[in-house]
Amino acid sequence: MQRALALPAALVALAEIGARAHGPSDSIAPPSAVVSALLEALADGSLAGATRDTLVSAFGGLAIGAGLGLALGVMLGSLRPLDRLLEPTIELMRPIPSVAVIPIALVALGFGYRLEIAIVAFACVWPLLLLTRAAVRGVEPRLIEVARALRLSPLQRTAKIVAPAALPRIFVALRLAAGISLVVAVTVEIAVNPQGLGYGVMTAGQALRPDMMLAYVVWIGIVGFAFNAALVLAQRRLFGKAAGVEAAR
Amino acid sequence: MTPAPLIAFRSVDLAFGDHLVLGKLSFEIGRGEIVCVVGPSGCGKTTALRVAAGLIAPTRGEVAFAGAPVRAPRRDVAIVFQDYSKALLPWRTAAGNVSLALEAMGTPRGRRRERIDALLKRVGLFAFADKYPSQMSGGMQQRLQIARCLAQEPAALMMDEPFGALDAMTRQSLQDEMLEIARATKATIFFVTHDLEEAIYLGDRVVGLMPHPGRIGIELSVDLPRPRDQVTTRESPEFLRLRHKLYDFIHASEKGGRP
Amino acid sequence: MSALAWRAASLAVVAALIALWGEIAALKLISPVFLPAPGRVWAALQHGLLRADLGEKLIGTVSHMLGGWAAASIAGVALGALIGSSRTARDYIAPTLEFLRPLPASAVIPVAIALFGLTPEMALGVIAFGSIWPVLLAAIHGFAAIEPRLVEVERVLGLTRWQRIAKISLPSATPDILAGLRLGLTVSLILAVVCEMIAGLDGLGQWVLLAARAYKSADIFAGVVLLGAIGVVANAAISVVESRMLRWRSTSLS
Repeated sequence: MQRALALPAALVALAEIGARAHGPSDSIAPPSAVVSALLEALADGSLAGATRDTLVSAFGGLAIGAGLGLALGVMLGSLRPLDRLLEPTIELMRPIPSVAVIPIALVALGFGYRLEIAIVAFACVWPLLLLTRAAVRGVEPRLIEVARALRLSPLQRTAKIVAPAALPRIFVALRLAAGISLVVAVTVEIAVNPQGLGYGVMTAGQALRPDMMLAYVVWIGIVGFAFNAALVLAQRRLFGKAAGVEAAR
Repeated sequence: MTPAPLIAFRSVDLAFGDHLVLGKLSFEIGRGEIVCVVGPSGCGKTTALRVAAGLIAPTRGEVAFAGAPVRAPRRDVAIVFQDYSKALLPWRTAAGNVSLALEAMGTPRGRRRERIDALLKRVGLFAFADKYPSQMSGGMQQRLQIARCLAQEPAALMMDEPFGALDAMTRQSLQDEMLEIARATKATIFFVTHDLEEAIYLGDRVVGLMPHPGRIGIELSVDLPRPRDQVTTRESPEFLRLRHKLYDFIHASEKGGRP
Repeated sequence: MSALAWRAASLAVVAALIALWGEIAALKLISPVFLPAPGRVWAALQHGLLRADLGEKLIGTVSHMLGGWAAASIAGVALGALIGSSRTARDYIAPTLEFLRPLPASAVIPVAIALFGLTPEMALGVIAFGSIWPVLLAAIHGFAAIEPRLVEVERVLGLTRWQRIAKISLPSATPDILAGLRLGLTVSLILAVVCEMIAGLDGLGQWVLLAARAYKSADIFAGVVLLGAIGVVANAAISVVESRMLRWRSTSLS
């Protein structure tokens, strides 16, 4: 633990000394100034508003994209012919970088939540689709035989056997997608969309407030870390340690 | 006892924290001798082998190799590990795995091919030179590890339950191949096993260890004629007598008392 | 059905979907301002490549992506080897890296602009910074996760430090490193596009954004098609390298 904190402490101290020695600047700020800017933004509510905007887009896009990816993944995982027919279509769509969709969505939807949600959703479909498909396909064949022996209907089979067996791995995919959703939301805000935390970083930079800009960056880091930690915790609670190990790989 | 031992344990203690794994262990292995070490699990037989190979330093006492104390692993002492699949480089072919030892020895590039071919022929893997370990059966992988160890031109082979993970048929043929290699190379062999019959079948001498801490409980000379035979040797009265003695010893030491 | 028949059928699905797209555009179910017909996209692609500077933009994006990725890969593998093979270094550095990992790399773009201005070097630095994480973390893991038995084999064979790295550690970490390189390539393409969008660098990111501002949907789609093509080709290239370098992983018993 002490060793883990040594490097960040040293870096912060070095930044403080370096920035102070440099004197007042339009591009860098000492950590102490960043902390006071962070407190300032927390106090006047601007940070809370920006955080809400970013999280609404991230969660909205995550819900739509993950839902779509999950449905497609279950379908493709359990219906081998459908999977084979759609393989090249998916292989051609998947490598399109999510940010490339920005202009299409921009023309169709304009600035705002809908633009950001659409792009986050596009980015979140793929991990869910691929990992769900693999998880469904990887369900122990013996369990499928049990389902056959019990004469379960396809719907019952999915609900009672396949879903619970595949769930731990699907949750791993959801965690991955959640991380992506936040990154993509902030990226869209930095690139085009005038709202949220990413836009906050941009405006602070353009207003020559390096302390505020870095405060936003630090805050984004804290939000991302908390987000990830919450999901890891939920995963451990829901599926035990084994799933956590798989997720770390 | 042979006049000039190659490997000598001199009252070796080994402790992991408060736990004494080996206690005042002393015994010697002569040049060209095959000594098999057996004992119940937890008696420290594998640990003793690792100390002799220089992988672990003893807490007190020392192991001498050719008269000099062992402080680190040495290239003329080769180790055959039980888990062959972990000890081979999965990204190199059979030839490449043997080559690793030659590269470590500094064998010039031009002379490696010939040595590799000869070593693979010796263990019967010449036809598999270009196969990766993942394409080989367990017995073939263990043969390959033995070939790599022979490439070190070792004065001593340390074998840590080398055939323990193999099926009975493969194990027997590897036992005979190992005896043939020992005969041809005159290598000294320190062989750890939990299979009592294997110990008697292979060894010139069998050392039985007792646990808590690991120490010598029994030493048996095996006066069975060589070459040995899987059927006749194992049926001979002397073999059965030794087997009986060894079983009694293990049984007693597992109960915790001295035999 | 044979594999070939499946392949043909699945490609027919792609063709059918493009035809469906054409039908939707022809019936104007979606306004052509948003959804251009496939024919118009094809024409825009041809026109852009042959008569406008779309080709240069393509080359620009590819070189930004590859430049940043190459720098990140070299630095990532080297640093990963240093950190991964030393327990002490891991204890000190790994927690900080894990903390920084979820930080969106795009968030450093404004910081970089403030520090260095809107220069191509800045863009390259940002792309490299963003795509170093997957490579670095994978390399650390690869070098740290070396099979302990192989470490003993190294000791018994008395390999020198250099031999250990070249013959054991690096090949043992290769599968992890390749996975990191693949992810890094994806990240570097995304960051190249973002940098082109906001820093005005010459590239497809700039092209599609300008096309969007002018409501030229065919030009947008032409740019997106090329970006998708870059992604497909980059992924395929890594797959080829991977299957050649990891041939030993095939577990078929002869």
